Amino acid sequence: MSSQPNGAPTVVTGVIGSDTHIVGNRILSMSLEKAGYKVVALGALTPAAEFVKAAVETDADVILVSSLYGQGELDCRGFRELCVEAGLDDILLYVGGNLIVGKHPWETVERMFLDMGFDRAAAPGTRVETVLGWLAQDLAARRRAAQAAG
Amino acid sequence: MNAPSAVEARLPLSQARIPGDVFARMRRENLARWPTGAEVDFAAAVARHQALPPHKRLGWVMREARRQGRCLTQPRGGFGTFALQKELMQALDREGLADIVPTTTDSYTRNEQFHLAQKGVEESERLGRSLLNGYPIVNYGVARAAELIDAIDKPAIMLTGTSMPRLTGEIGFAGGYSGYLGSGIAYTSSYTKELSIEEGIRNYQYLDRLAAMYREHGVDLHRRQPGFLTGTNIPPSIAIVTCVLDLLLAVEQGVRNYGLEMGQTLHLVQDAAAVRACEEICQEYLRRRGYDDVFTPVTLLHWMGAWPHDEAQAAALVAYGGTLAAVAGAASVTTKSTHEAFGIPTPKANAEGLRMTRMAIYLARQLRLDALPELGAEVELIKREVRPVVDKVLEMGDGDVALGAVRAAEAGVLDVPWSPNRWLKSAVMPARDADGCLRILDPGALPIPREVLEVHEEKLRRRAEREGLAYGPDLAVASVYEISEPLATILSDSWARLAS
Repeated sequence: MSSQPNGAPTVVTGVIGSDTHIVGNRILSMSLEKAGYKVVALGALTPAAEFVKAAVETDADVILVSSLYGQGELDCRGFRELCVEAGLDDILLYVGGNLIVGKHPWETVERMFLDMGFDRAAAPGTRVETVLGWLAQDLAARRRAAQAAG
Repeated sequence: MNAPSAVEARLPLSQARIPGDVFARMRRENLARWPTGAEVDFAAAVARHQALPPHKRLGWVMREARRQGRCLTQPRGGFGTFALQKELMQALDREGLADIVPTTTDSYTRNEQFHLAQKGVEESERLGRSLLNGYPIVNYGVARAAELIDAIDKPAIMLTGTSMPRLTGEIGFAGGYSGYLGSGIAYTSSYTKELSIEEGIRNYQYLDRLAAMYREHGVDLHRRQPGFLTGTNIPPSIAIVTCVLDLLLAVEQGVRNYGLEMGQTLHLVQDAAAVRACEEICQEYLRRRGYDDVFTPVTLLHWMGAWPHDEAQAAALVAYGGTLAAVAGAASVTTKSTHEAFGIPTPKANAEGLRMTRMAIYLARQLRLDALPELGAEVELIKREVRPVVDKVLEMGDGDVALGAVRAAEAGVLDVPWSPNRWLKSAVMPARDADGCLRILDPGALPIPREVLEVHEEKLRRRAEREGLAYGPDLAVASVYEISEPLATILSDSWARLAS
């Protein structure tokens, strides 16, 4: 969790792997900023390790991973483990976009990414407002859990 | 991974043709970068192309289509293993009736991460499904590429979405691919983050010199420029600026068969105007530089922005995209499918997209808008936007296109909306107007005359007013998702509410 419990939560955004689809990710980043989050926008073509490095450096609360080109399955494997290795055991991980090659039932795709350790997976076409809702809900739950523990 | 070689570093950037001895050294270094590079034998490759029947040579097929006034169809398509790729290409050829059969490379190959692509191949072969979003043509090598060409009865084009085309180009051309889509300015500004415009131009000067070397040996390859750029609401003039500049760079290397691609705006008149303006203004700049022997057919692409999830809505975009291309007089149309919103289509859906498009082309075969006054006005408007930008770029390079492009990108004079590339300003912002045409909302530093921009502003303000949106970035963001919105949102059927 962020070291400043009263400050704005920090989110890291980017498009993972060798993917250049930047438009939706940029709009998401703009909306997050407008909603009061501190946004560390890594942009397109971002290796998994760079997400984790940026999250460590900025003491981030959430990493939002975008992938539109179908190779998200290959790029996102081991992402949670990378976070744990870097000491980010509890960081919230969201992933969204066209995550694997071909048209598959969303439940299958979602299960695949939840099993990889992502907390939320957003189907193609998920709107910014939905993601903002998830964030508010999940961050509040984390705060309550931290208070109960501490 | 894409560091300039020692040889290149000694050549200062310019539009000049790469000298023969330097190019020979560059090729040796390039081909040594991955084991399959050793399979490239130029003399054997030339013989292979000459042995292909004319209808499997894209250079010839594009010229013939233009001569007959035909609009050809071409999909995208690439899977991670040879077996899947062969099956796909045959399905597109036979079930899709594609006039041009594609091979899209995967994104690791596009970024020259051949080791990662190798892992993707192995995983895909193990699981029997494609984990890669395209065909890793370099990993499979020349002989496999040739097998793919032999498996179809159409010309094949490489679609590699890359600023690093040197190895894919060598392998593909050697295997018998007769077309290659990509260019230094367009792809670098749209598909890369860290690579400079200069490096992108240099990489494509290599590919263009290679294509020209085939031409000098009697093989008329088709090179193509991806003026669709970032695919996100690109107004025709912004596309055409890059078309002209990339074309001039290719021609300096010796290319003479060079297609220009633009994404559809989805407005019937604006798309027809874009096709006409593009070809006319490309030829205008070629003439100014003394070239009268360059073939420049124009291709339109099915909608390149966000697609609706509803397959019925998507089907309308596919078929209408065929109509737009045919009415515009495009030499070919690049197709999508009803699966577009979900990612990469199955071969069946891809083939259906081709047939939907083909039927629409047939229905529109005699329709042209040439006499429509609105068309002429739009063509003139586009030209009034393109010329000042291109002229300024050339002036900034003291007549040298390569230098001008690099300096102009730095200054924002050459700019692309929604670019992921750090070397561009990406300050220009487009939006859709009240009539459905794409316009320039914020020109950034583009040197477009004020009176022209006022035309754009007036049309965009009308839309903002009609829809109660603020005139500004919100209009641009709304335009990004507009076409993908559910039908009930974009064209409501709730007459009960409207009547009350």
